[in-house]
Amino acid sequence: MRLLMTASQIRGLPVVTVRGGEDVAEVRDVIFSPEAGRLLGVTLNKRGFLAGRSRDVLPAEAIHAIGQDAVMVLDALSLVAPEDAPDDVAHPAVERNVIGDDVLTEGGLSLGKVTDLVLLVGSSGEVVGYQIEKPGGGRGYIPLPAQLAVSGAALVVPNITEEFVKDDLVGLGATVDEFRARLGLS
Amino acid sequence: MGVLGWVIVVVIVVVVASVAFVVIRRRRRGGRVIAAKEKG
Repeated sequence: MRLLMTASQIRGLPVVTVRGGEDVAEVRDVIFSPEAGRLLGVTLNKRGFLAGRSRDVLPAEAIHAIGQDAVMVLDALSLVAPEDAPDDVAHPAVERNVIGDDVLTEGGLSLGKVTDLVLLVGSSGEVVGYQIEKPGGGRGYIPLPAQLAVSGAALVVPNITEEFVKDDLVGLGATVDEFRARLGLS
Repeated sequence: MGVLGWVIVVVIVVVVASVAFVVIRRRRRGGRVIAAKEKG
């Protein structure tokens, strides 16, 4: 199943065990690797109205599936202590929050500012695009190459990305493969 | 202080408490999209 979700749709989802249906945590931050083009894991909040951050984290390898209404894990042991988790997930580089970053093409054209990250979910966690606020106002979606360098306050994307700006997630889903084929990536 | 004065005080207290509650809750809930550092 090809289900596209934004990171903001994933944030706040309950983490539920497949064995037992226990609601064990809630998604807090989404951490991804621009280099590998995939989700690395999520940090967690405890459950409860005013409950704060949980010490445990959830690496992508421990996620059974991400759906529209919950993140599924096998059991409560899937949540791991920071000492046992990959460093990027256990100690995320909080200064590298991509929301608000400028998106520039290699030719120097601004496509807008990042407002969200788009992921291909289900059992995979591939990063396929960004939701952007266009310079003239309005929301758009751009596909991403399988690998992308993120550094500083701007994300630099190939020039042809401009041709692939879509107005909705459905349009983005349909265009990702074509975009990557044009780049010679698939 | 008359009744109107007390009403104003109560309204101000409720508004300030509500704003503080929302701000604190948002801070506690977090919600960032973080790009991991490149290894290469």
